[in-house]
Amino acid sequence: MVNTKDFFQYDSLAFFGKVNASISHELKNVMAIISETAGLLGDLSDMASMGTPIEPGMLKSCTGSIMEEIQRGFATIRQMNRFAHSIDTPVQSVNLVDLLDLVINLSGYLSFCGKTCLQPCEDVTPIALTSPFLLQAVVYETLIYSFKHTGPGVEITISLQRRDDSAWRIIFPGFNVNKLQVFPDVVTKAMAASIGVAIHCDSAADRLELDVPLMIEGVTAHHVLPEMPDMGNASRTRA
Amino acid sequence: METNNTIKILLVDDEVKFLKAVSDRLSIKGFDVTTASNGDEAIVAANKGGFDVAVVDLQMPGTDGAKVLEILKQNHKFIEIIMLTGHATLDSAVECTKLGAFKYLEKPYDFDKLVDALKEAYQARMHKKFESNQKRMDAIQKLAMHQSPLGLLKAMARLDDGEK
Repeated sequence: MVNTKDFFQYDSLAFFGKVNASISHELKNVMAIISETAGLLGDLSDMASMGTPIEPGMLKSCTGSIMEEIQRGFATIRQMNRFAHSIDTPVQSVNLVDLLDLVINLSGYLSFCGKTCLQPCEDVTPIALTSPFLLQAVVYETLIYSFKHTGPGVEITISLQRRDDSAWRIIFPGFNVNKLQVFPDVVTKAMAASIGVAIHCDSAADRLELDVPLMIEGVTAHHVLPEMPDMGNASRTRA
Repeated sequence: METNNTIKILLVDDEVKFLKAVSDRLSIKGFDVTTASNGDEAIVAANKGGFDVAVVDLQMPGTDGAKVLEILKQNHKFIEIIMLTGHATLDSAVECTKLGAFKYLEKPYDFDKLVDALKEAYQARMHKKFESNQKRMDAIQKLAMHQSPLGLLKAMARLDDGEK
């Protein structure tokens, strides 16, 4: 039987820290915009009190900007909450679309990552019995590696399909995988192996593939919890 | 409104709303602000010239803040640069200092601190410029004592070649 405690080693903690740092960076940006825009409103009020006419459109633009940033902050906190709870249960039944949606949102907080779209399989709900936290780590590392490889301003479309009766396939297409010499790194490879995920570089089709088993071998039924709840209405595309 | 400042600022950040709010606030304070929403745009704007101080966000897609800092310091002898970051680390602060950043501020910061930093940076720039001009004048005076008029002109041209 797999000892679920073995899933969470130092590398997992490092991943948790890395993602949290990117979220805090995003929240700082949000706070900085709110702070500066509120400051601007204060400056405009001071000017108005000294008799300088202030255009109402400017005030409206400032309040609109603050409201938008508050919504952006809430959306970020929702993703943070989803991510924090992904470690609650070591192994559980996971909807891969929800998991990919979360990873796409999290990667969007990194400045070098461009837009990511998700093309889910149409007719079935892709469920796997796996470690959501480790699978997130593997998908996240693959996605940010893809962006580091493609450069800024590129849009990546991840697709998901049933490989066969034993696995789901997550596909990262559209860049020259022949040049991928350092992926997967040792840590990502080990994390993927710990949950039975295979990473392939398909040179002919020019894509990276992650094969996620429907079930981790050796995991017993008591690890299985109900499907991940829907944690929010996040967009599957990074704005 | 303060009107006695005419410090020319280049403000660089990929967060467009942040750029707009800070730019508006600095303009109200009397600064002359030009904005750029990425590193490449900043380098092009700087080449058009005349900036006293640049305020540059460290983390930007494409040409990041550290690269912009490096290029601006190479190409513009007297420009002072204040780095902004949402994620301050000792390593990045040391790197920016090595590359010649005047100051390193973590977001969100107190706006008055930014204004103070801009004024200090401007003073530092003026001081450097004054010292450089002084050195140049001293060099010209020395040359004038031992050169023919044509020789003096040639020597001055060589001095000017050293200026960026």
